Amino acid sequence: MIETKLGEFEEVILLLTGILGENAYAFKIAEEFKNQTGRSISIGATHSTLDRLEGKGFLKSEMGSATSERGGRRKRIFTITALGKRVLKESRDFKMALWQQYPALSGKLNIA
Amino acid sequence: MKKIQPPHLAKRLLERVLREDLTEEVLGDLEEKYSSTLKNHSASKAKMNYWFEVINYLRPFAIRKINSYHYMNHGLFQNYFKVGIRNILKYKTFSFINIFGLAVAMSVGMLLILMLADQHRYDQFHEKKDRMYRILSSTEDGRQGYATSPFPLSHALKESYPIIEESTHLTPGVGGDATYQQKLAEMRGYFAEPSFFRVFGFRLEKGDEKTALMQPNSAVISSELAYELFNDENPVGKIIEFSDRQLSFPLEFDGISSPAVSWGSFTITGVIDHSKYKSHLAFDALVSAATLPALYSDKKIEDRSSNWENYYRTYTYVVLRSDAKEDQLSNALDDFVKRTYADLTAEHLKGFHLTPQPLSQVQLGLMGNDTNNRLFLLGYYFLAALTIVILISAALNYTSLSIARSVVRAKEIGIRKVNGAQKKSVVMQFLSESILISLFAMVLAVGLLFLLKPAFKNLWVNQYLGFELPQTWGVYFLFIGFAMFIGILAGLFPAFQLSAYEPVKVLKKLQVVNRGGMGMRKALNVSQLVISLFFIATSVLVFRQFNHFMKFDYGFDSTNIINVELQGAAYEKVVQQFSTVPGVVSVSASDIIPATGTNNGIQLKKTDSENEFTNASILVTDQHFIENLNIKLVAGSALSESSTTESILINETAVEKLGYPNPASIIGESLETKWGGETLTVVGVVKNFHYLILVNNNGTAPLVLRRNPDQFKFLNVRLAGDQPMTTISKLEAKWKEIDPLHPIQYKFFKDELASTHQAIFDIVTIIGFVAFLAIVIACLGLLGMATYTIERKTKEVGIRKTLGATEFNIAFLLSREFIAVVLMAVAIGAPLSFFVNNLWLQRLVNRVDFGWSAVGIGTLCILLLGFITIVTQTLKASRTNPVDSLKVE
Repeated sequence: MIETKLGEFEEVILLLTGILGENAYAFKIAEEFKNQTGRSISIGATHSTLDRLEGKGFLKSEMGSATSERGGRRKRIFTITALGKRVLKESRDFKMALWQQYPALSGKLNIA
Repeated sequence: MKKIQPPHLAKRLLERVLREDLTEEVLGDLEEKYSSTLKNHSASKAKMNYWFEVINYLRPFAIRKINSYHYMNHGLFQNYFKVGIRNILKYKTFSFINIFGLAVAMSVGMLLILMLADQHRYDQFHEKKDRMYRILSSTEDGRQGYATSPFPLSHALKESYPIIEESTHLTPGVGGDATYQQKLAEMRGYFAEPSFFRVFGFRLEKGDEKTALMQPNSAVISSELAYELFNDENPVGKIIEFSDRQLSFPLEFDGISSPAVSWGSFTITGVIDHSKYKSHLAFDALVSAATLPALYSDKKIEDRSSNWENYYRTYTYVVLRSDAKEDQLSNALDDFVKRTYADLTAEHLKGFHLTPQPLSQVQLGLMGNDTNNRLFLLGYYFLAALTIVILISAALNYTSLSIARSVVRAKEIGIRKVNGAQKKSVVMQFLSESILISLFAMVLAVGLLFLLKPAFKNLWVNQYLGFELPQTWGVYFLFIGFAMFIGILAGLFPAFQLSAYEPVKVLKKLQVVNRGGMGMRKALNVSQLVISLFFIATSVLVFRQFNHFMKFDYGFDSTNIINVELQGAAYEKVVQQFSTVPGVVSVSASDIIPATGTNNGIQLKKTDSENEFTNASILVTDQHFIENLNIKLVAGSALSESSTTESILINETAVEKLGYPNPASIIGESLETKWGGETLTVVGVVKNFHYLILVNNNGTAPLVLRRNPDQFKFLNVRLAGDQPMTTISKLEAKWKEIDPLHPIQYKFFKDELASTHQAIFDIVTIIGFVAFLAIVIACLGLLGMATYTIERKTKEVGIRKTLGATEFNIAFLLSREFIAVVLMAVAIGAPLSFFVNNLWLQRLVNRVDFGWSAVGIGTLCILLLGFITIVTQTLKASRTNPVDSLKVE
């Protein structure tokens, strides 16, 4: 059985992977995470999450190109799978549905 | 510029624990992060960050799955230990052979460790010991360097080279009597400067180090001397009188003393307690170097303050600045010699150079003119070589027995492997077993050491070498390390051999475990026996050489002669007093004691001839000397009371060397000397006698005897044969009248002659002991192999006996191969020890005939012990009742 629940951190990482596109590998994702949230995170933690997401089938990966800064080592580029996209969408829809049920805020919320 | 690399250790850690498939990307990511951090931050920050990232990667997903077997598992070790102990207990004979053999060998190794540890305790108390150097001198011809250097060196170095933080010199020359209120004590020591206390770690019990050696005529004394002179009074500030007698220092020799010369009074400014310091330096007193100028001007001591040619007296020590290196000092010294010695062309300065010797190497690096007697480095190598031979021999016993008995363990190994043990863990098992054995051996060896240590300390040489060999806790750690090392060494080969068995084969007995290396094991036994034979033959030979020296006919009669030191007393007076003592047969005088190692030279030729100068030795004696020692006069007359230094006696060899046909022809001839330009007249010729030390001379070199009462240092007193001790006590009483201050110093001539060869006896003891150990170990090896073979053949013996073989048949059958081993050892060992021993023996001028008897004794020992070992085992086996032996299994 595939685990389909998406944790908050997992969701952010998944989104960042999508944002970075062809540059989505562990180091860049960790860096982007810091840029976006202001919180720093170790590459190991990022990698661990990516690994888990891949295991759940939300991500797939393949070895990319190498650069000299990496000592000639290749990077692993992650891309979102169709399943991953669906889960993200579901997650967003689910939250939207919740927001709309929240009367105190529903009026101010403007959904494009 | 080269990029700063990420921390190596962190990277290694990651590579070790990370899943293989992740390594590339992860290392890549981390390195990219590292280089991006480097752009904005310091290297250390980047490194810290790298470490942080690495540690954050130690997560379950990323770590390599451990599928390898835990061969370092605690439980398994317990099992190895249990099986090891059971094996030791089950095969008691083999365990005994192994443990005892290793213990015997290890005790010798431990003795060497103790010796080195003992030496390592020296000079550890100086605060700057890691930066301290002694300056050595050496020249082209001198193979061994000198511990001494020119007097002005210390000052000159400090002035010219900023890398030298501090320097000081110690100059011997203080040796005489210190007196304080009727109390007299001998005081020997150095002239030293105030910088002494800035270089060395010696501290004063009483007094101030800063000022103690500043003023002229001040002295720092040892607490022993302080006690002798002042008992328990505070010595600081007391004033003593000192008169110098040129007593030898730092090394003490007999008879070197002259009449006392007063140096005036000295103020005691400090006390050093030597018992607190273990050092290569020891002294009764340090006299302030500021005293020297006054002594120079009074001509009481030779002024060497600007003498660069004499490098035989002063010891120079320097402390380097903490940032300077030893090679900088070497360069500085080379540079200094180049500048200072450019104009000095004296013969003895050819190729002169100065080298630094780190303080840590002083204790093991004995030099010429050194400050005390120590074992020279070659001695350690000699002992180490003997130890290694013995240790290897014992370790090989273990190795060969373990391999021989591998059959017994084959099934166990098979089962272990079937149950999942890897080769590594089997290796670990056998290594832990051999370490266990060697730890047992260590315990036994420590016990043996208690027997060995006193024996070593009682060796004659040790009174000069001063080994104390304390067993401190640190030494026990070394022992344990040593035992483990030996365990690994002995167990390594069998461990790999046994762990290579393939379980299927050993369990199915498809492959009868290779009876393997029977040839190799025999070769081991043979070589052990050869070594034993060699040592036995050598010790027998050295002993005979020693005996040869002891019984040697020197050509003069030393029986009942005692040599009394004059100690600066007037010769005529002492002779006159001593002659009146009943029991004294005759008295003569000389400057040195012949044939005990001291020797003076002179060069002679016929006056006004074109001949080359002939080198001869010179002995200064009185007119009674040759008569007193029963030396025969061949021609001419003896010296007389009125003989001046111009009348000489020469020996027969000198006659020949000077080119005269016979002794009578040289009487009355005049000879000239090379240096003094003296003219000497030959008045008589004496028969040759041995006056040089026997080890490297045959005593037939030319010799000159002449009379010069000023140079006499000893009286040779011949005592009547009965009750010499009574006579000596009377002589002592007489001596007290002549010199109430100094006690009489005498030695029996015979003892003195013997003691020049005592060191040889120590070598006999050591080699003999090693021979004993070697043969014990070799026989243990033989015993082990014999026992094992017989055990294997129990059934065969049973069947043969049932079928009618006699005990003798069986015994012969079983012994055959071992007897072959012993015979082969003799066949190789006997000629080998003959030729090798001949190598050194031929270099001795004065030697015993080798003959074959030394080798014969060795051979006999080997044959006897070898046969006893084998035959007892085989006889026992052949006597067993076949019913019992066939029931085995």
